[in-house]
Amino acid sequence: MNLAWKEMKKNKLKFFILGSIVFLVSLLTFVISGLANGLSEDNASLIRNMPEGQFLMSSDAEETYSMSVIDPGLRDQVISEHGGYAMSLQMGFLTDDEDRQTGVTFVHSGDHQVSNGRIILDESLQKDYQTGDHLTHEQSGTTFTVAGFVPQAKFSHAPSAFLSADDAEQITRTKASQLIFVPGSDELSVSGLTAFSKSEFLNTIPSYNAEQLSLNMIVWFLIAISGMLFGIFFYMMNVQKIGLYGILKGLGVKTRDLFRMMWTQLIIITLIALTASLSIGFSLNAVSPGDLPYLLAPATAFQLSAVFTLVGFFGATLSGVQIKRIEPLQAIRQGEV
Amino acid sequence: MMELKQIEKSFSAGEVSEQVLKGVTLTIESGKLTALTGVSGSGKSTLLSIAAGLQSTTSGSVLFDGRDLTSLDQEELRALRAGSFGFVFQSSHLVPFLTAAEQLELMLKTSGRKLSKKAAAAEISRVLTRVGMEHRRNAYPDTMSGGEKQRIAIARALIHQPKIVFADEPTASLDSKRSHDIMKLLKDITTDTGTAVLMVTHDEEMLGYADRVVEMRDGLIG
Ligand SMILES: Nc1ncnc2c1ncn2[C@@H]1O[C@H](COP(=O)(O)OP(=O)(O)O)[C@@H](O)[C@H]1O
Ligand SMILES: [Mg+2]
Repeated sequence: MNLAWKEMKKNKLKFFILGSIVFLVSLLTFVISGLANGLSEDNASLIRNMPEGQFLMSSDAEETYSMSVIDPGLRDQVISEHGGYAMSLQMGFLTDDEDRQTGVTFVHSGDHQVSNGRIILDESLQKDYQTGDHLTHEQSGTTFTVAGFVPQAKFSHAPSAFLSADDAEQITRTKASQLIFVPGSDELSVSGLTAFSKSEFLNTIPSYNAEQLSLNMIVWFLIAISGMLFGIFFYMMNVQKIGLYGILKGLGVKTRDLFRMMWTQLIIITLIALTASLSIGFSLNAVSPGDLPYLLAPATAFQLSAVFTLVGFFGATLSGVQIKRIEPLQAIRQGEV
Repeated sequence: MMELKQIEKSFSAGEVSEQVLKGVTLTIESGKLTALTGVSGSGKSTLLSIAAGLQSTTSGSVLFDGRDLTSLDQEELRALRAGSFGFVFQSSHLVPFLTAAEQLELMLKTSGRKLSKKAAAAEISRVLTRVGMEHRRNAYPDTMSGGEKQRIAIARALIHQPKIVFADEPTASLDSKRSHDIMKLLKDITTDTGTAVLMVTHDEEMLGYADRVVEMRDGLIG
């Protein structure tokens, strides 16, 4: 006979409410986490989808890629020594025939070969332009022909526009590069240059850091709140049942079995609630509108689920010390007048 | 069956110490209904809970089955209560989310008495019939009358065939007719099964069912 299950069956409403709260809090956590991930993908998918590696920028740039200047001589020397390629990024605008302006990040990157006079755009611009369209950079007066599209290439919330080295020189007005990317996890040390890992480099992008920090804080708050909710809810249920626990202990039921009953209920509720919130969280991936960046990553979602379960377990167990403490006699006497 | 020897019990609150039991010696015999009576506060419940392994003594010994309960640890006492004792309290203290039959099933499991599923079901039916509650086997406590609850409590106290049933004022919350029904039941059980019953009551009417009446006065047996 399963005491845990029997109680849940008899008190459906009580457990349904607890389950709903866990469901709502975990769903909220998954949605926020999906937004955090979606936003960071929208902000910097160009970088996030590069392989692990080292980003080098000049040491006097104070961790700001746009201030970094790596002279061609040093650049070519580092690349011939360590491999990798140069990258430069610059915000700007492209204007089409009808005078419409689109904000883009001009990117020259060694792993995107483009011929002079052509650009390759992030696929998010596919809705506005097509291959063969002409777009102009007005400051330099250069006109480009769209040569194609690539997926997941956004930087600083703007779609990337990949250029040839010569065109990049036109737009940035310098032969120097901002960054050198060297694949691999080995820490590089080149005098005059500072090396950043991928995640370190992402965090030097000011908006990226700010967005992630606040959203992640919300996620952790929600997890802490859910732990407290579990704790408080089981505490209240245990307080209601404390007399019963005392009686059962008096009859000879093991304290361990009473804890097991509580844990079983916790696991059943958590499993059902998380299954529901995970399936909704993942299905939002498919239905979220294009301009709302939402992308719930399975690995993150399952990690969060594990944290939820653990936090719930600790909350409930902590409140379960009453079960251990209650003396049978105390409970028996409470029934008397 | 059980021998209580020179039981003393004091409760101390800070500096003040109150001696509730002052050397009680009592033998509980199988197949007999022993009634403990006496004015309120005379120590009846305290003595009963000591005999049942629910409370420690200040001195004295409780001999049962060749063992002294006062020397057992909590886990040993728990196992002893689960396997050899049955309990009926003033309020029935049933598990609110279990049906009548499930209350017995839980106690059967707790006692560790090994029965096949079929045998357990048959045993539960037999005991429910014995207390006149078979027709209410699927009822939850919140749908039972006080008398019905107390019958189920008695059934729960019997299902694992304990050696002693401890009953602390089992009829105190019932009207006269239902009290007599419950007392008849307890009395019949002692004769039928050889189980010993130690019962606390201060209802004079109920003393007629006892094989032996022990009056407590001032922490001693009068
Ligand atoms: N846990 C306790 N702590 C302090 N005093 C107690 C405790 N249990 C019982 N007493 C005291 O012991 C005396 C006897 O109580 P009890 O055994 O319940 O009497 P009865 O059941 O005969 O009415 C009472 O004065 C009561 O206040
Ligand atoms: Mg009493």
